[in-house]
Amino acid sequence: METQDQIQLINDTINKAKENLKESSFSFIFWGSLIAILSFFHYSFPEIVQQTYYSSLLYWVLIPVIGMIITVVYNIKKRVKVGYETYAGRTLKIIWGVFNISWILLIFISFEKKINPTESILFLLGVMILITGLLIRFKPFSFGGISVIICSILCGYTPNNSWLLLNSIAAVLGLLLPGIYLYYRK
Amino acid sequence: MFKPLNKILVNPIRLMIVSVLMKVENCDFNFLKQLTQTTQGNLSIQLKKLKECGYISIDKSFEKNYPKTNCKITKAGIKAFNDHFEKLKEYQNLNLKQKS
Repeated sequence: METQDQIQLINDTINKAKENLKESSFSFIFWGSLIAILSFFHYSFPEIVQQTYYSSLLYWVLIPVIGMIITVVYNIKKRVKVGYETYAGRTLKIIWGVFNISWILLIFISFEKKINPTESILFLLGVMILITGLLIRFKPFSFGGISVIICSILCGYTPNNSWLLLNSIAAVLGLLLPGIYLYYRK
Repeated sequence: MFKPLNKILVNPIRLMIVSVLMKVENCDFNFLKQLTQTTQGNLSIQLKKLKECGYISIDKSFEKNYPKTNCKITKAGIKAFNDHFEKLKEYQNLNLKQKS
């Protein structure tokens, strides 16, 4: 084999194993929609969600845990179908896995301390989205992450009952819209 | 003075396997078979050779009762690929100079 042919073969092979970002958009669209709906429902019908002392905790833990199971199963199936895992894909899997654990821990800590977790969760989510955007070099995620961080800062200047509305807006700006943009990106 | 190319990596199938493993964290046998467009037997032989040289590690497991082979590049494999690529570039530059 000629040297030029070998270099060409290396280039062609490496190009065949690109991270398929379009398929990753499912998780962002799913979580953006889920959080926006949960927040808006809680904001609109607080008497249903906060019926008992533990009902809101269950609402904000049980449904997201089911969501986590759905996305984990989807991502495992995707990995098996594709047949490989890129370094960027593995990094994203780790940082979002750490976020999932931190999110649940923050909810339990806030519940114990009787404080609203929205502000801290939004800040953490914003940082994660920003890291994702910078890592995959996709500006809508970077801007989405900054929007979510701004929403978390705004929580400090708005009454407590409007935090759920901010949470809903942050989910749309930070997850849903960049996810849709990623899906339709060529 | 040009050093000779790595004989193990001159083989196109082995070069493809190592190249793709440089890009990805790990990949399975089926993906490699699809990528290299070779037979199952030939791919197994090339993987075995790369493993014997210490360039890749092979992890065999079972998934839903089916055997699953996962490959990963080792530090020695990364070094061998980088050295090979540098030599290829040197040869390429020499060819270009000779042509001009």
